[in-house]
Amino acid sequence: MRFNEKELVFLSRQPSEMAAELGMRGPKKGDVVKRRLVKLVVNFLFYFRPDEEEPVGALLLEQCRVERDDSQTFSIVFLDEAERRYLFECDSEEECGKWIDSIIKASYEFMRRNLIFYRTEIHRLTGKDPLEQYGISDETRFQVSNGLQLMPRDTSSL
Amino acid sequence: MEVNKEPTGRKMKLNERSVAHYATCDSPPDKTGFLFKKGERNTAYHRRWFVLKGNMLFYFEERDGREPIGVIVLEGCTVELCESAEEFAFAIKFECAKARVYKMAAESQAAMESWVKALSRASFDYMRLVVKELERQLEEFLEAAGGVCAGAPQGKPKSSRRHQVARSRSGASSSSSSSSSLSSSSSSVVAPAQRGLQDEVQLSSGSSRENGVAWSKPAIGLVNGCPEGAASSSAAWEGGAEPGNAAAYGADGARAPPVPPRRRGASLESPVSPGTGCFSKLHDWYGKEVEELRVQWLQSQ
Repeated sequence: MRFNEKELVFLSRQPSEMAAELGMRGPKKGDVVKRRLVKLVVNFLFYFRPDEEEPVGALLLEQCRVERDDSQTFSIVFLDEAERRYLFECDSEEECGKWIDSIIKASYEFMRRNLIFYRTEIHRLTGKDPLEQYGISDETRFQVSNGLQLMPRDTSSL
Repeated sequence: MEVNKEPTGRKMKLNERSVAHYATCDSPPDKTGFLFKKGERNTAYHRRWFVLKGNMLFYFEERDGREPIGVIVLEGCTVELCESAEEFAFAIKFECAKARVYKMAAESQAAMESWVKALSRASFDYMRLVVKELERQLEEFLEAAGGVCAGAPQGKPKSSRRHQVARSRSGASSSSSSSSSLSSSSSSVVAPAQRGLQDEVQLSSGSSRENGVAWSKPAIGLVNGCPEGAASSSAAWEGGAEPGNAAAYGADGARAPPVPPRRRGASLESPVSPGTGCFSKLHDWYGKEVEELRVQWLQSQ
């Protein structure tokens, strides 16, 4: 599958939510833990050899799950291939926790769900759609019922 | 299959299989349709089926293609109408040096306008901006309506919250203008709405992206799972998951939505402590509490 590599490399140089040197192990059998500079930018996790400017690779953080393996280790598992795990070793329990939190929140789909929640909540409380004043109420990406599975809740106020 | 390779150095790895899965999984796309895309080497336009999800623009050979033949990561792009022999043409441009310009053409004026609008707002940064704005609005409302309703659960002073909002990234790309990711699109088609949001939202005036930590200390507490009332779930947001706590965080719609701010020093009795993750109970609780205040608030508007 083709992708715009140059632009992705450029993205990897942008300011990040989190960046640290971690132990990283790839998903293939026989992969070993290697030190990598891991950098979270929007919904991508880039990883670099510690002394290099261009990333070795990138992980798009959609349709994935983050699991805590032990106090200092977490794994990213992609839903389409549950046996393949990208494992990360942190220097502390706290650091590990921060990474897990950050990665979960780094998904576009996660943010979309939050937005929908806030939108409906504000509407419920105020009777007004908060996106209307910006003229973006109709944007597909903000729709409450575009097939997204929301938690069961009362939507009669909408 | 062609591989876009830099003349020097190795091609960067990407979790391509999972990315392709994202394209075809049942999460709803933001837009789909046929577009003509100009080839990289030859100047012919090829008709492809495009699927926009989040900040990723996938393209397939056919509408019912099982796997995309390619993807354009849209983060940091601008979308412009362009001069072209081709009708209904527009271009996706990037800021980086020697970036490729993706020349596209739609099949009608309406389709072109719709795509330009959708693509110019496809960035993660834009979504984050809007989320932050709504978060702020909700907070403001609850504070105004309650007085007893708390703002930041961690007790952050209001000024730093404002600062946090103001520091939100001004745009996906470090464009030379000091505007938001919205107005970085130069399409005249979408101008009015962009200006609206730009006016309303306090944005960082710097053109470069802030290295802000967007979510690590959210002004509004967020919880994870729901029905079992996992009390530890809100703690997960604030400092890191406890070992063994809610090991799997599904990013596939299996999580409860975030809850409004915690209350502090509440003078009213509440049936449920905000620490529980039971969303529907919290919903009712807030509903009862603010109904009267809401009426007052609306009347004061």
